Amino acid sequence: MSMSDWNIVTRSMRTRTFSSIVTILSVAIAVGLVTLLISMRDAGENSFKRGTGNVQMLISKEAGPLPSVLNSMFYASPPTTPITWAQYLELKRSYPFAWAVPTQLGDSYLDAPVMGTDESFFESFQPAQGTDWTLATGVYFDKPFQVVVGADASARLGLSLGDTISLEHGAPRSEGGHTHDEFSFEVVGVLESTGTAHDRAIFTSLDSSWIIHAHDRREAIFGHGITTSIDDLIHEDMKITAVYASLGDRKGALVQVLSALLRDPNWTVASPADTVGNLFSIVSNIDQVLLAMAIAVMLSSGVSILLALYNSMEQRRKQIAVLRVLGASRPRVFSMVLTESAIIGLIGGAIGLALSILGGLIVTNVLAQRVGIVIEPALPLDGYLMIVLASVALSCIAGVLPAIVAYRTSVVRALRPAM
Amino acid sequence: MTIRFDVQNTETTPALRISSLAHRYASSGTPALQIDALTLDPGEQVVLTGSSGSGKSTLLHLVAGLMDPSSGTIEIAGEDIHKLNGHARDRFRGRSVGMVFQTHHLLTGFSAEENVMAALMFSDIPRGSHRERARTLLESLGIPTPAQRVERLSIGQQQRVAIARALACDPALVLADEPTASLDPDNAQVALDLLQDACRSSNAALLCVTHDQRFVDRFDRHEHLASPLEQLQGALEGA
Repeated sequence: MSMSDWNIVTRSMRTRTFSSIVTILSVAIAVGLVTLLISMRDAGENSFKRGTGNVQMLISKEAGPLPSVLNSMFYASPPTTPITWAQYLELKRSYPFAWAVPTQLGDSYLDAPVMGTDESFFESFQPAQGTDWTLATGVYFDKPFQVVVGADASARLGLSLGDTISLEHGAPRSEGGHTHDEFSFEVVGVLESTGTAHDRAIFTSLDSSWIIHAHDRREAIFGHGITTSIDDLIHEDMKITAVYASLGDRKGALVQVLSALLRDPNWTVASPADTVGNLFSIVSNIDQVLLAMAIAVMLSSGVSILLALYNSMEQRRKQIAVLRVLGASRPRVFSMVLTESAIIGLIGGAIGLALSILGGLIVTNVLAQRVGIVIEPALPLDGYLMIVLASVALSCIAGVLPAIVAYRTSVVRALRPAM
Repeated sequence: MTIRFDVQNTETTPALRISSLAHRYASSGTPALQIDALTLDPGEQVVLTGSSGSGKSTLLHLVAGLMDPSSGTIEIAGEDIHKLNGHARDRFRGRSVGMVFQTHHLLTGFSAEENVMAALMFSDIPRGSHRERARTLLESLGIPTPAQRVERLSIGQQQRVAIARALACDPALVLADEPTASLDPDNAQVALDLLQDACRSSNAALLCVTHDQRFVDRFDRHEHLASPLEQLQGALEGA
């Protein structure tokens, strides 16, 4: 193989390995940050909105709409203020809901939240707009102490049909939680993935949740060793934490019901899609600041390329002069320096994309675990290509000044013997 | 784009012809060099001596087309190098002029053969033959390990690589600027032997600048370059 400009450029980079790696990494971090922010911005909002499904109203007794939505639909933490069963029935009677699904949160299995609900959860509530629940295997629960497991919970916790589990009272990893070994729950169904926070939850009947809590109450009175069944339930045990509700296509009624509930101080009512939209309008300001910072990091990485190449020019003047003596033209040495810049931009851009994908996986995992949002940060292929091209272009711009220095190098002066 | 140089038959055309050459320092305007005529035939070996500041190195830079003279012409193999501009001049220099420096000026980080192939990069010699050509040249000059990086070679071996690089493109003219100054007497002797033999075998003219009078007799011709001040003094004494 003969020598080429490419050999000279890459060897030159290798002789300055440390400087080249640091410069490439600075580009990679900048590209990674920008890519991650851009890809997560849309994915986050879409995922949030998708997770609210076909719920028009989320009714609870939480402190405000945002915690209500985050806690009752995205499993951020268990709701703190219960709704009695009587209040729920009264609510259902008072308004012309198409459906009103009772939900109860507060128990968990390992790190998966457990939701108590009834069959209307799977019949009326769609986890994502236009998408019904589908079982990957098994059936829905139809009696106490049966559970249906979300796709993500099944995969992560290794739960399959026929497995038995004991629930923990309290949120995952919460203080004061205790396991109810006396009640075994059987896995009777595993759900298909919905791409929402519900995938990481486990679902059981309200009766089951209530019996566990009744057992705690009864143990406090009668001591350990007692058994508790559905017949032992009293009104005090029968509590829920939120109601997923919809009025179907009756938009006029929806406005009336919403305004009536908003006026009622006993209820907190949230329109989940609007609440998510409001959340993102707040987040988007922060997001723009982060994006501006990422662009600033990208510009500073451009400056670092400029400095790295410019400083290397001092050591490389002799090399450039020798190449000129051997027959290299000024434009050719100019292009060699620009090629080096482009290589830095290309490798940095590619590593940056890999970092952004890795970062996306980490952030996705953390959000899914902690906040219950399942997001899939991704850009279309041409989006990734554009980012790499932008990285190469920025690097080339940063390389212009050093390339001019190379172009203008005086051969005679550079080859003069040191005195 | 193919650039054609009007290179005449080197058997009949001098390898180097300098006429009425004068060069002044751009900053001060004082004369730096004055040569009325100097001709080297193909394969001829000329040593040029002169006191410090006589303009020996400046002459080599002018001949290589790295500087432009104030006046006069310099023809290499019949081509006035200073009439060529930019890319054409660089290509012509790469093909027609080989240079050997006092401090070798090899490309560090590259092997001996890569240094020779770097010169071939800018020639019209087919790329497929570059490595073989470089190895053959290096072997003939006594470098048995062409893949060795040049900074790991001895000073004497580095000088041989520099000679191989200067002759890689079969130049019409080789310019050597104090080629023995950094070598001990034994190595200097060997290096000059190699340089002169290599030029002879490729019929390249050799213009060697040195201040070392010991080697003057080894060349076909000895020219002394007087500084403009010495020339003026000589003229005054003559008058």
